[in-house]
Amino acid sequence: MSKNSRITMLNLGSIMKNSHVHYIIFGLVLCLFPMMTSAGGMKNSTLSTLAFVLIFSIVALGLNLLLGYSGLISLGTAGFMGLGSYIAAYVQDDLGLGFWVAVLLAIAIPTLIGLLVGIISLRVSGIYLAIATLCIAEILAKTFEQAEWFTHGTAGKQSKYPTIFGMPMDRSSMFVVCAIVLVLVMMLTYNIVNGQLGRALHAMRSSEVAAQAMGVNVLKYKLFAFSVATLYAGLAGGLYLFFLRSSYPSTWNLFLSLNLIAMVVVGGLRSILGTVAGAFVIFAFPELVLKKLPVIGDASGLPYVFSGVMIILVIMFFPQGLKGLADLGVTTIKTVFSRKKVTS
Amino acid sequence: MTTRNEQILPLEGTETLAASDILAVENLSISFGGLKALDDLSFAIRDREIFGLIGPNGAGKTTVFNCITQFYKPDQGTVLFGVESERLHRHRAHKVSVGSTDEPQDTEVVNLVGRKVHSIIKLGLVRTFQNVEVIPELSLIDNVLLGGHVDFRATILEQMFRLPRARREEKQYRAQALEVLEFLKIDHLKDELASGQPYGVLKKLEMARTLMANPRLIILDEPAAGLNDSETEDLAQTIREIRDRYHCAILLVEHDMRLVMGVCERICAISFGRFLALGTPEEIQENPDVQEAYLGEQESDQEGAQK
Repeated sequence: MSKNSRITMLNLGSIMKNSHVHYIIFGLVLCLFPMMTSAGGMKNSTLSTLAFVLIFSIVALGLNLLLGYSGLISLGTAGFMGLGSYIAAYVQDDLGLGFWVAVLLAIAIPTLIGLLVGIISLRVSGIYLAIATLCIAEILAKTFEQAEWFTHGTAGKQSKYPTIFGMPMDRSSMFVVCAIVLVLVMMLTYNIVNGQLGRALHAMRSSEVAAQAMGVNVLKYKLFAFSVATLYAGLAGGLYLFFLRSSYPSTWNLFLSLNLIAMVVVGGLRSILGTVAGAFVIFAFPELVLKKLPVIGDASGLPYVFSGVMIILVIMFFPQGLKGLADLGVTTIKTVFSRKKVTS
Repeated sequence: MTTRNEQILPLEGTETLAASDILAVENLSISFGGLKALDDLSFAIRDREIFGLIGPNGAGKTTVFNCITQFYKPDQGTVLFGVESERLHRHRAHKVSVGSTDEPQDTEVVNLVGRKVHSIIKLGLVRTFQNVEVIPELSLIDNVLLGGHVDFRATILEQMFRLPRARREEKQYRAQALEVLEFLKIDHLKDELASGQPYGVLKKLEMARTLMANPRLIILDEPAAGLNDSETEDLAQTIREIRDRYHCAILLVEHDMRLVMGVCERICAISFGRFLALGTPEEIQENPDVQEAYLGEQESDQEGAQK
């Protein structure tokens, strides 16, 4: 092998190890699904289910930053997501300001409210924070029902596909938009957790006294984690609306918040790809598999039972979640291979 | 905002600290409920000195630590600390290169009382904990990098988008962290997670983290606790090497008398929150008050046992 080609091989090797590259490849694979659908290889409803997995993954990543890295809990995620969806609909359809303004405000307003809530409630921690966020979510949920000028109340807000860069969107192209946003969010989250920011969050979760002694302003970093989580929730809420073209107050309830926590726990605390896998298991598995089963498939509340069982299984047997399971698989394969080498 | 600052922080530079001193605790008192944990305690540590703080169990040694580092707010008294003007005005210590501190530097005296806990390290005062407080989910080198937290000047947004300054700093401080790990001879473990490491390694890791902050004064809270004899000897050597290499003072709270007597240049003994004696290890060993505080306790224990 010539020296030149060896160098290219080395470069290629280091590029393949780069997590950002992994996420981009993952995104490219995702973009195959709409093509499969249009070729008739996949049902439209399956594509929709997968789109919701991508959207919920974005929220769950924010929640993982909060729960996994920073050790804070929020029961109000669904409320912020709902707020994002209604703002997107209101700005696009009622105000007619277009996709970009709608997305921007769907991100900015929940983040701002999240920041205010954080300034007040992050001085308390643990169970009190959980209750404070739950209160906010309930206030938002009631607002969604009552503020008819803004949300159309229980009848639900109807919207339409947006136009991006002059291109009218449809189901497939919105799926691609969701995939692109998810990949960007994964890259951003990776940057956050793998630098000094991430180390500060780790320190805060692990030992608040040590974090303070090392100069970490605990309140500042708690606020940061909380705002990023609400930012992701608002963004995902906007995408949810643009994909489904409707939003109902009954969607944004405590059960969704709990399901989002289940995605994080099942996927694996402090794991980015794990979170996406968790979102798939918790949201898509009941939709695509369980509901098709005979007899129990028709039972209402089946997805919640499934989430509950998954959480119990994970906590009892795999505290690291799906990510831990994958790591275990990789190590097993590696040991098997290295043994083979020794014997041969 | 200004009124609040004036209230908490006395005017800088008006406090006095003897030229050779780096830290002076003056008339420190704190009580929890009705119990006076510290009662009018005063002592001073010289620059680049290895200083021991001893006392029987419950004498208030750790309380002194917590009052210096502002984890506790003392009821009364001041804690004066000498800071290089450069560090104080930049507020974020830039890299102070090792060995360059030989030439005299302008120092200003600040009162630590009333400052925020997380601002203390910016002044060059770092501590370790009695029960090691490292982050188990991070690798050793990442744990050390945490000690350089206040040196990172890249903003949150710069770090989120990996802008050039954030990348440059990450690289620069990672190299510095590796140097510290090499100095403490645990660099072969740099990428291992802190969880599952032996206690001796964790103790060293905590020390490495303090060194990352370019400290002027390191406070070690019972560094020998849980170490065996050979590790303790190793520790004494390490403490001297740290002082010689990083030109900082070290305040040591320790129960292991051999370590304290062997490594400290001066020792302050306290009992029930009150000052007992201050002097060289020999002076302290011969001091009748100190002997009474340690041995008198034993006598009364024996009397109690005889009854």
